Formats: sequence, C-alpha cells, structure tokens
Amino acid sequence: MEKMKALTLPVLSEGMGEVVLCAWAVEAGQGFAPGDVLYEVEADKVVHQVEATEAGELVDQVAAEGDAVRVGDVLGHWRG
Amino acid sequence: MAKKPAWLKVPYNAKAVAEVEGLLAGKGLHSVCQEAACPNLGECFGKQTATFMVLGSVCSRNCRFCNVSPGRPQPPDPEEPQALAQAVQALGLKHVVITQVTRDDLPDGGAAHLAACIAAVGQVCPTVTVEVLISDLGGKEDALAQVLAAKPQVLNHNVEMVPRLYPSLRPQGNYQRSLEVLRRSKALAPEILTKTGFMVGLGETDAEIDALLEAILATGCDILTVSQYLQPSPDHAPLDRYVPPEDFDRLKDHALAMGFRFVAAKPLVRSSYQAAEALEACRQGKKLC
Repeated sequence: MEKMKALTLPVLSEGMGEVVLCAWAVEAGQGFAPGDVLYEVEADKVVHQVEATEAGELVDQVAAEGDAVRVGDVLGHWRG
Repeated sequence: MAKKPAWLKVPYNAKAVAEVEGLLAGKGLHSVCQEAACPNLGECFGKQTATFMVLGSVCSRNCRFCNVSPGRPQPPDPEEPQALAQAVQALGLKHVVITQVTRDDLPDGGAAHLAACIAAVGQVCPTVTVEVLISDLGGKEDALAQVLAAKPQVLNHNVEMVPRLYPSLRPQGNYQRSLEVLRRSKALAPEILTKTGFMVGLGETDAEIDALLEAILATGCDILTVSQYLQPSPDHAPLDRYVPPEDFDRLKDHALAMGFRFVAAKPLVRSSYQAAEALEACRQGKKLC
C-alpha cells in the first residue's frame, strides 16, 4: 500500500487569499478516480470544485466544512 | 463575502492547469486567464486552451473591476510574437485569442507589437484563426489601422459597462472612445468581424443596458458577450448583485432580435468564451448563441 500523502490546497487563482472549505465531496475511507470532485472551496469570485488528479482513497479530513483555509494548508490525507 | 449562488461553481483540475501554466512559463508568456483570475481557468486549461496576454502583465491603467496589476510596464519583448506562435502550435489551437494590457506609455499603444503577434501566428500556424482583444489604443486611428492591417479575423474591444459607471470604475477609459474603436474598425476593415462585451451586476439598470445595446449595435458590431461581474478581491469595486441565468437568457434573445449576429450571455461568460464558435457562426451567416 502506498504511503499516505497530504492533500493540500492548490493555487486556484492569481493573488488568492483566504478561502472557505464549503463542502467535502468524499468521506474518509472513500475511494475516488481522476476527475472526481474531492471538495468545494468558496473564493472571492466563484466556488471551485477541486478534482482528483489521480485515483486514490481519502484517509482523513483535517479541515472541516466552514474552515477558512489558505494555499498549501493540509485539508486531509490520501493514499494512491 | 456574499454567498455564491449555485450557478457559480466551476471545476478545477490542478494537473491540467499545471501543464498549461508550465508551457506558458517556459516560453515567458502570460495569459489573461491567470492575471485576471478568470473563474473559467480550470475548465479552459483543462481543455488545453488559453487566452494569451501580450505586452507584459502590468497595465498602465487602473480599472477598479480588473485584477490585472497596474503600474509601470516593461518595454515590449521582441521575442514574444515568436514564442506566442510556438505556444499556439504546441497547444494545437484552431482559434487563438490574443489580448493585451493597456499600454498608454507606448506611442502606438502596442499596435505594432500586436500586429507582429498576429503575423507570427499566421506564419507558424497558417490555418489558425486569430482574434485580438485590444485596448482603445488611446483612440489613435493609425494604431488601430496597423492592427487591422495584420488581418485578424476578429477585432474585439470591450466597452465593459454602461457609461454612467465609467468615472468611478474605469476612470482612464472613455465610453465614446471605446465605441469609436468599434465604429472605426468596421469602417476601415468591414471584412473583419467586430466584437465587444460588457458586465452586469455593477448597479446598471435595464434601461441603461438597452441604451448600451443600441449604441453598440449602431457601430456595426457583430458579436456580443455579456457576463456577470465578479469581484476579484475586497479591494475591488463592490458587487451590486448576482444576475440569475434566466435574465441572461432574456438579454441574449433581446440582443439577437435587435440584430447582433452572435451573442454569448451567461454568468460565467468571458470575452473569449465560445470565441471559435462565434467566428464560425458568423462565417456561416447563422444567428446563434
């Protein structure tokens, strides 16, 4: 089994500041495929539905829905 | 931050975005998608398409609705036209939209550089169609003529908003000068399609929108885009309201009935949205959205 990796918030737009994690789309223990939406964050302009880039399984959710988060923050952990 | 309505959700695929960003950075190029914090970036980069922004990433104006950095721009990069053409080729684009930061610091507003970019794309990718989204070029007719002489298929210049809002949101712009860009373009090169766009949600009234549509149409403009203003940050002009999608549908039908040849009107429409489809529809003589 692959090593657990951090799921971090990417840069979603130029000059992006604090955003709000509005919803998780996968639960801990749930598998996902490339293209599946993992979570939604509300930024200044829109709500971004952040997709998985590889297949894997979400291990845990570190950030909770409603939390304010920044680029690089660990939202959870996953393994491929 | 006002709560976003359900229709303002966009997909984001970090891998696809990184691929296009890597290509642009490797060639020293900029995209308006990145600089303007376009909400459609994830979707468009995911489809391997981008709108290039030439003449640097710093604008000589400071419009209160725009996310592009204001300041003192650098001199034009003479290598940029060739790098741009190579990126168009690498992405396999069939239609490219090239926009610019406003360059009031240059005597020609950047017209010669724009013309060089159009020419370079024509040489490297002769089948690719080109749309230029230009500034008002300081209202200089010879500068506009220089861009048109390079033969883009579409000349786009955004009026951006109803005229009442110019002094507060676009203080260095001039509504009549913007309309004149569209009017002159059609007079100088009738074969080149003209296009413009404006935002709603800034506090305009229906009557003001009607008057704006009439004024744009009177320039002979072919293609129209209408979009929701989205506040880039708390430091930018405040949002007045989110306009629901059904209001955009009504606006589109109204504009088409008035005589526009192609209208793209949706909350997340931006200037380059459906750009290739607009050109194709106009070439085939269809009225579409």
